[in-house]
Amino acid sequence: MLSLRIEDLAKSFPGLSGPVLEIASLTITPGSRVAVTGGSGSGKSTFVNLITGLERATSGKLVWNGDDISRVSEAARDRWRARHVGLVMQDFHLFPGLSAFENILLPARLARVADAVTIGRARELLATVGLLRPDQRIETMSRGEMQRVAIARALLRKPGVIVADEPTASLDAEAGEAVGRLLLDLAEQAGTTLIVVSHDQRLINRLDRRLTFQAGRIVSDSVSDEVAA
Amino acid sequence: MMRFILADLRRLWAGATVVVLLVALATALGVTVTLQERALRLGSARAADKFDLVIGAAGSETQLVLSSVFLQPAPLPLMSGDVLAKLSKDPRVAWAAPVGFGDSFAGYPLVGTTRSLISSTVSGFAEGGMFGKEGEAVIGAAVKLPVGGEVKPMHGSAATGGETHAGVAYRITGRLQPTGTPWDRAILVPIQAVWHVHGLGHEHGEEEEHDGEAAPAITRAAATTDEHGHSLFEAVREQDHEHDHGHVHEAAAAAGQGEHGEGEENPDHHGIDPDAPIVEDFATDGPGLPAVLVKPKTIADAYKLRQEYRNGNTLAVFPGEVLTNLYGTLGDAKLVLGAVAAGSQGLVAAALVLVTVTHIAQRRRQIGALRAFGAPRSSVFAIVWLELFLLIALGVGLGFLIGLFAAQMIGSVFTDQSGIVLPVGFTDEDLKSAMLLLATSAVLAAIPAVLAYRQPPAAALRA
Repeated sequence: MLSLRIEDLAKSFPGLSGPVLEIASLTITPGSRVAVTGGSGSGKSTFVNLITGLERATSGKLVWNGDDISRVSEAARDRWRARHVGLVMQDFHLFPGLSAFENILLPARLARVADAVTIGRARELLATVGLLRPDQRIETMSRGEMQRVAIARALLRKPGVIVADEPTASLDAEAGEAVGRLLLDLAEQAGTTLIVVSHDQRLINRLDRRLTFQAGRIVSDSVSDEVAA
Repeated sequence: MMRFILADLRRLWAGATVVVLLVALATALGVTVTLQERALRLGSARAADKFDLVIGAAGSETQLVLSSVFLQPAPLPLMSGDVLAKLSKDPRVAWAAPVGFGDSFAGYPLVGTTRSLISSTVSGFAEGGMFGKEGEAVIGAAVKLPVGGEVKPMHGSAATGGETHAGVAYRITGRLQPTGTPWDRAILVPIQAVWHVHGLGHEHGEEEEHDGEAAPAITRAAATTDEHGHSLFEAVREQDHEHDHGHVHEAAAAAGQGEHGEGEENPDHHGIDPDAPIVEDFATDGPGLPAVLVKPKTIADAYKLRQEYRNGNTLAVFPGEVLTNLYGTLGDAKLVLGAVAAGSQGLVAAALVLVTVTHIAQRRRQIGALRAFGAPRSSVFAIVWLELFLLIALGVGLGFLIGLFAAQMIGSVFTDQSGIVLPVGFTDEDLKSAMLLLATSAVLAAIPAVLAYRQPPAAALRA
């Protein structure tokens, strides 16, 4: 379970006049469930890339439980992300030719941390997300099933934070509903901090807090009505 | 990681196959050139092995060796017959055998020679036995004629529009064991028969008994022989009869009679007397000769003899030495072919880099995702590197096999045509070149791997 503290964070790209993202101050408490919304080009994707260490901030601090990941090298960020972040993407990014089970284990295997316990956990997670055929090839699955595999993969190494980027956007309403619920339930069970970028109103409504981005800034930071009530 | 790579290659099997084939063909080209050149060198050296010293009339050294050792049909100048007489008497010479060429039958060269040459250069007979009479022949292992069959020589070769020697026919008495030399494709007949066919060195006594018509055609050289040769001839004939194996002798005699009859129907041509015993005592001056193969007793003798017979009229060569000069030329050809092969390998390498770099660009998303989900950079490098290296290594391995196969095919065609057995095979040198190729491909495969390694994951995911 991780907390995030951001101070004077800015990200700019060469050739662009202003920064694409600028956050003066933001704190996310451990175990909280945060929705991130905003139009395209509002800076959501950059926000996700920065907080997961995929990209490096141009200036400012980005501290996860005391680790400022805007200061460290690319390899160190890779290691930190592998250890602490469970990523779920809109396009799943699963690898064809491998089974569901192998897809879940692949990053851990490539990082040489797939011990017997991890392998056992992969099997459990498959059952948890409701997939009964671990050896099914990924390309033969429905999109909803694929996203379940992706969620199981994100949870494998017991991350402190799950970052989901439009997890339901490429699914139909029914599958999206199921995936959204699964994501919330599992995050809650594990007590993991959850950050979800989404346009899916039903999913957003279920989260505790909503950050709205516009033109690279947070324009609204509201606590959800349901939770507040 | 291997599972991931294999799944990836399965998905991209068509491209992977093309890459493997490209590498295999480029490798095979180089391997074939190397193997073939080496085999040609070894094969020709082995073919020349049995012939220590070749003496012929002054002329081209290379042609002398090509004609005598490799039986290449070409007119050689004749040297005087007394050279052979002198050599036969020389105490430094173990044996000296005349060889006469020019005729052919069914595409096989006819070589007139002696029994001592055959028995000292060939390990034995696969079938039948040695010729014992003038009208008999022994065939090399690769001659596709039956023992007991008939050989009707043709002047020159069919390809050059030669005419059949009317009335001349040899009976095949034996097939030699393979030697891996052009002599495997030769029909060996007594040298005296060759002389007689061409109207040289007819023994006077025999002529009168069997073939009086040919007598006027006896040359000046033959006439000289006559004066001295008669008594010697008689003596040798007695010896020959004692040494001949009974059955061969009888069979030959029976066949010989028939051929003899034919000979008489064409009185204008020179013929042979199939029943005439073979004289292989060349102590006296004989007819002119294109070449004499000499087996010196010692190496020192060999050098002395070579020195002695390198004068205005004759030429003495060590075939090995002449071949070495030829290899010099062959070496240049190999250099050119090698450069062509290396060039093609370079082109393939460049094409591979192009293909893989494009391929890596197409895989940005996949590579980015691997890293985003927690695979270390080193794994990404290893995956891309291994994937390409596996393909190239497979191609190199396949290329070596194809190259070996191709060299063997070429070698067997060459053996069919020339009789020279080409020892095609790998040596340590090839192991080294294989290692070099693999090392190069390891470096080559690192180029896209480095690109993948340096690719930022966020940019890759966004694309």
